[in-house]
Amino acid sequence: MSAFLASGPNLGRGGVGAWLAGLSPRGKVLVLAGEVVVMLALWQLVVGVLGWINPVFFPPPSAIWQGFLELWSSGVLATNALVSLQAWLTGFAIAVGIGIPLGLLMGTSLPVDRVVGPIAWTIYATPTIAYQPLAKAWFGFGIGPVIFLVAISAVFPILLNVAAGMRTTNPSIIRAGTVFGAGRFQLYRSVYLPSTVPFLFAGLRQAVVLATIGMVVAELTGSAQGMGAVIIRAANTYQTDQAFAAIALVVVWSVGMTQVVTLVERWVAPWTRKARR
Amino acid sequence: MTVTSATGTNRIVRPRRVVRSGEGRWAWLLVGVVAAVLLAWEAAVSWLQLVPAVFLPPPTEILAAFVRLLGEPEFWQAFAYSMGNLLIGLALAIVVGVVVGLAVGWSPVLRFTVAPFLWLLYSTPKVALAPLFILILGLGNESKIALVFLLAVFPIILNTMEGAVTVSPSLVNAGRVFGVNGVYLGWKVIFPATLPYSLSGIQRGAALGFTGEVLGEFLGGTGGLGHLLEFAAYQFMMAEAIAMVIVMVIIANLTLWLISALRRRLAPWYDDRRIVGAS
Repeated sequence: MSAFLASGPNLGRGGVGAWLAGLSPRGKVLVLAGEVVVMLALWQLVVGVLGWINPVFFPPPSAIWQGFLELWSSGVLATNALVSLQAWLTGFAIAVGIGIPLGLLMGTSLPVDRVVGPIAWTIYATPTIAYQPLAKAWFGFGIGPVIFLVAISAVFPILLNVAAGMRTTNPSIIRAGTVFGAGRFQLYRSVYLPSTVPFLFAGLRQAVVLATIGMVVAELTGSAQGMGAVIIRAANTYQTDQAFAAIALVVVWSVGMTQVVTLVERWVAPWTRKARR
Repeated sequence: MTVTSATGTNRIVRPRRVVRSGEGRWAWLLVGVVAAVLLAWEAAVSWLQLVPAVFLPPPTEILAAFVRLLGEPEFWQAFAYSMGNLLIGLALAIVVGVVVGLAVGWSPVLRFTVAPFLWLLYSTPKVALAPLFILILGLGNESKIALVFLLAVFPIILNTMEGAVTVSPSLVNAGRVFGVNGVYLGWKVIFPATLPYSLSGIQRGAALGFTGEVLGEFLGGTGGLGHLLEFAAYQFMMAEAIAMVIVMVIIANLTLWLISALRRRLAPWYDDRRIVGAS
């Protein structure tokens, strides 16, 4: 997020760039908001009013809003969103429940790290969609494979980040801890844990995005319920306005959960903020 | 080991293998554990019959299915189909991604006006758009190539942008002093300095593109590895299905390894640790 507000290497240029760089944070937000409004208006104009693009393929914002209202009033949205929410939360909870303890174990014990690490990297490097047909065959149609795919998508970023956090704890702080007579437990509590927490939250943020992708993939390819099923049903019946409305909701969920993780991080571990821009 | 990725979060990168005297021992341990797991699996399924072999075929059966698969011309046809689509989509994504990323990273005006939208699109689960692509472009190659492109292009753009932003100003100034300007400056200074970032974006993009290809084949396909896998699982031929998954695991890991090797070859002056420091 910070990349596009950074100054960059382009030195000694004037004009619009200099004007933008000189704006206050509030001014920048205002310019951005203006931009969003212009974009939406342009989209509406090109598709909705001038009709240059077939609105079935790329419905204008007003139609997407209509589609959202249709989904909402027919009750389709509430039931399916609830199913998705349940699957996502269950899968994510499983991922956290496995990922954090196993990551801590990997960080503590070198043999575990050397054995679990390569296996976890190998599975993590493969897009989770490859496991979807197996999940479908094992858990049947419905919510089972969705939970499985969410969990397997989310577990590895958490696991590997926690392990990396434990491994990269500053050795001089550990030595300082031992010099001051910290016991094994105390060392974990006051040295390892604080330096692992930023990694944990970085992993959680990644996991939120991957879990949402896993959820959508699982629901698109083998579930009668959930947001993915709503999307594919709407698309197959050429009601693309509803499909876009459902996609927008998934996006809001993904971005919103990432923000929630960041908020929790700020609340639980305020010391991590200074590490980032 | 972390790098600060385009999204501003710390992203872990696979640690470079450090060869130490004790390292060989761990490799043996890993092999031993994997062998033990496979043996326990075989025992549980075929000898003790704790799990029905229909659900979870024993490793020997999967191996047989794997070997059988490699001998079938049908499999190689599907392989060529999927890889062809993936390569075309990825090549398009690399060209567009690097050009757009360099432009947006270099120009403050573009960065301010376009980058927020790029960032929003980057964090969107774009797989949700897959049914619409199939609706618009049909069941053929076009929809898969478009899906690969769409999923792969954003990590490439954003990583390249991140790289272009963090090019050291003193390098640029040195270039200007020596009279290098315009496109030539971009080619000689900005592009090489950005290359390792682009390659890590391409690495991420390749994995996402693979997802796009397989998803496209699941949703409506007439060929390809994803179609074969879906078909095998649908027929409940679990040994074949698991063998197909292993093929995909191999392809995905091989691709990542290849791009890492490429990065080491093309940008040996950078390693992951340096990227951490630079950003």
